Amino acid sequence: MFANFRQAMAWVHTWFGLVLGFVLMAAFFFGSLSVFDREIDRWAVPETRFPAQPMPSFDQVLWPVYQQLRAHPLDMAATARRVEGEIPHPDTLPLVSLYAYTTHRDPVLQIGGEFAIPNKPLDASDDHQHVHGWASIDPRSGTYLSQDKLQIGSEFFYPMHYSLHFHWQDLGYWIVALAGLVMLVALVSGVVMHRKLFRELFTFRPHKRTQRSVLDLHNLTGVVALPFHFFFAFTGLVIFAGIYFPLGETMLEPLAKQHQVLEAERTGLPHEPAGEAAPMASVDAMVVEAKRRWDLRGMPGEVGYLFMDHLGDANGYVSIYRAGNDQVALVGQGVHFKASTGEVLREDPPPTPVFAINEFLTGLHLQHFKHWLLRWLYVFGGLAGCVCIATGFVFFVEKRKKQLAGHSARLIRWVDALAVTTVTGMVVATLAILVANRLLPADLPARGLWEERIFWYSWLVMLAHALWRSKAVASGLISPAWREQSWLVVLLAVSAVLFNWIGTGDHLVKTLNDGYWPVAGVDLFLLACALVAACAAKILRRREGLQQPLSPRNSGLQDNLEVARG
Amino acid sequence: MGDVVLLLLAALSCHSGAVWLALAIRAHWRQVTGESAPDAATVRMLRILGAAALLVGLVLCLWADAPSMAVLVWIMYLALFAFITAFTLAWRPQVLKLWLPGFRPRSPLS
Repeated sequence: MFANFRQAMAWVHTWFGLVLGFVLMAAFFFGSLSVFDREIDRWAVPETRFPAQPMPSFDQVLWPVYQQLRAHPLDMAATARRVEGEIPHPDTLPLVSLYAYTTHRDPVLQIGGEFAIPNKPLDASDDHQHVHGWASIDPRSGTYLSQDKLQIGSEFFYPMHYSLHFHWQDLGYWIVALAGLVMLVALVSGVVMHRKLFRELFTFRPHKRTQRSVLDLHNLTGVVALPFHFFFAFTGLVIFAGIYFPLGETMLEPLAKQHQVLEAERTGLPHEPAGEAAPMASVDAMVVEAKRRWDLRGMPGEVGYLFMDHLGDANGYVSIYRAGNDQVALVGQGVHFKASTGEVLREDPPPTPVFAINEFLTGLHLQHFKHWLLRWLYVFGGLAGCVCIATGFVFFVEKRKKQLAGHSARLIRWVDALAVTTVTGMVVATLAILVANRLLPADLPARGLWEERIFWYSWLVMLAHALWRSKAVASGLISPAWREQSWLVVLLAVSAVLFNWIGTGDHLVKTLNDGYWPVAGVDLFLLACALVAACAAKILRRREGLQQPLSPRNSGLQDNLEVARG
Repeated sequence: MGDVVLLLLAALSCHSGAVWLALAIRAHWRQVTGESAPDAATVRMLRILGAAALLVGLVLCLWADAPSMAVLVWIMYLALFAFITAFTLAWRPQVLKLWLPGFRPRSPLS
């Protein structure tokens, strides 16, 4: 079928890249935004615009907060589908385990817990007898944040990055995984196809014809950021390996269960409750003891993750983990206490090599560490990935513009329209949700849901617009949709900054003066985005003016001219 | 986050490394100097300088942060400065003459 290996690789690269490139584009773009998810949250939920807070006192603040925590309606509904009978009212369900998680960038605290249910599962092998509750709270006062307020960064852009918000049968995870796998394949096949990887490492010729300069940019962004692309596609797969290879819940389930029991014996952290009630000692005192132990190890720090199991039971225990500000791993150096007495059950030894490698791989992707430079470098890597994929689409279209007949014309019109939708259209949708966030009434019921709807609908409208304007592509021209959507990006980005000013009074002069970077940074980034889009629109206008439509008669002539120009 | 000065020096070092490695390539040497090709000794010198500068960049990164973090910063620096170098070559190649101090174009007769 193929004359040589390189041609075979070119086929794989072109067609797999084209089909899954659209998904990859979303993964890279929303991944890049997720690097600053907490900062986007501050922009989107103005009442949380206060400095990052350490883990609050458990005895004073958190314990009363957990008394008010209830099973989440979403998980109640999901659990109801896999158990017999009706689940009792959430107010009556006992909390059996709880957690709290924070990082150096979080003013609000994420909390959650598991509530025991008496219902039998429909599937006898399903032993997950819990419903989950979760919430964000203000750690200064212990008040709950309204669930109607969407934290756009961490609750919308970030899950979009790995699940596309496509939850039916977890299909979103699988599609993104397939795209991640294809990314790895595209990197390898791309390197095989590239004839002059080293000689053209620094080559970008913007003044040559579009097809050439676009290919240069595709190669440049692909090759210089190759380690980044490779590691992020790979570690993304590693993070969800448990979903993609659920061996512990399928073939190896008995072994996995036995492992948990043995692990509990080894660590002294009880696997099962004892069945007798017990009071709880002061958790604040346990935190003091954990911090003392970290100091002794020469690694002083704050609490990042707090976990308690078997609440109110004699076997209850409390695990306190150090926040990973200064390390790649998210958290570490766990110290575990007996909940009823406060005695230390165990102090985690340094992780084994396998565990440490896993922590490094997942940690480098999830980046909860404190390193603002590296954070920006990741944004650069992610956006380089977006440019690489987008130029791949443009190259695909440019290369085929000269062979316009029948199926081919229809194919490239679709590819071009989808490229417009996933490049400028995706930015428009992203800006639309931010503008909606500032414009929708503050007390609108299900406000977050409306914001999400506006995101999806505006994206659909961009697809319709791109398809409608794609006729030009069939004549070998640039689709005007690129330029028109670029202008829409300018309009929306500037509006978002203005509406933030009008609605909250936090304009750039104020936020920069106060050094409040989460909001100043988002505003500056929006303005930079507007500037880039305006430049792009102007260049597109000029290029459109220079082009002559191709007719079947003069296309041959055009080809000859291209050959003559070399 | 590590020492800002060290990370800036590491950035400068990695940038220089990328520029020298680029100048060792004939097409880019021509863009920057206007000469057709560097001689073999110059190419060797540029490659050694480039590799050394990248290595110094790594050492500075390791000095600034814990090794696990430093490696990530360095790899991202390589990508960023290769990219910046390529863009400078595309639009302002003469700027890169800064990395060739004391360079005199050969006279056409020699």
